[in-house]
Amino acid sequence: MPEEIRATVLTRRELFVTGAAGLASATIVPPASASDDAVELIERLTGKTPTATERLHLVMPQTFPNGYTVPLSLDIDSPMTQNDHVKYVRVVAPRNPLIEVATFHFVPQYSQPRVSTRIRLAEPQYVVAVAEMNDGTLLMTKTWVDVATNGCI
Amino acid sequence: MVTPMPRVQVPSAVTKGEIFQVKALISHQMETGLRHDSEGNVIPRKIIERFVCRYNGVDVFVVDLHEAVAANPYFEFYLRATESGQLDFIWEEDGGDVYSLAHQFIVA
Repeated sequence: MPEEIRATVLTRRELFVTGAAGLASATIVPPASASDDAVELIERLTGKTPTATERLHLVMPQTFPNGYTVPLSLDIDSPMTQNDHVKYVRVVAPRNPLIEVATFHFVPQYSQPRVSTRIRLAEPQYVVAVAEMNDGTLLMTKTWVDVATNGCI
Repeated sequence: MVTPMPRVQVPSAVTKGEIFQVKALISHQMETGLRHDSEGNVIPRKIIERFVCRYNGVDVFVVDLHEAVAANPYFEFYLRATESGQLDFIWEEDGGDVYSLAHQFIVA
């Protein structure tokens, strides 16, 4: 699926240049205001407005010595029935040179919406997770991770 | 590059309806395509871009991986035991190579 791949390879630069915010404001944004950034980013990636939620749990260490292999756990409160389930969760690291991390697809009745893995982070940043539910709504959460050394991606 | 080695860990027996944990790992560099060698040449991108867990022919857990997944991609996930049969684990590399493992599985 080469087309699909190309569509999802987004660099940070492309994102800022295409966005109204521009490169200048993006580079000086302090972490405190990054929540609006995340909403805007998701709107740009998906065309939909995500809702902040308590149902989606993204667990990562607040500080971690190296960016090469940072633990990440996701857990979504959902009965996973045909009528009420999570379709996928997409994880984005907005300050990585390539912002996409991974997308996890779950299947009602079969899989639980819960996964652990390890990711690379190029610098301290908010990691953002967006879940699409079966009715099309987007739920979003984010967590701040401070990495001491660059994950070199 | 060393041949990627897949490994999985699944409980040997589970009861029907039980939620069980699966651990899947493949040894793989996950070369991002952003690095350069000592002569300044770009090291070509080579990553696992898709992981599939199939339960008796049904895709039950799928991951799209990008460059920011750490080397030796590891996933720990949870499935519901419905019936005995086979679990297939498939890793697809961006160049078209596919690595897989099959696991026979008893649901009591």
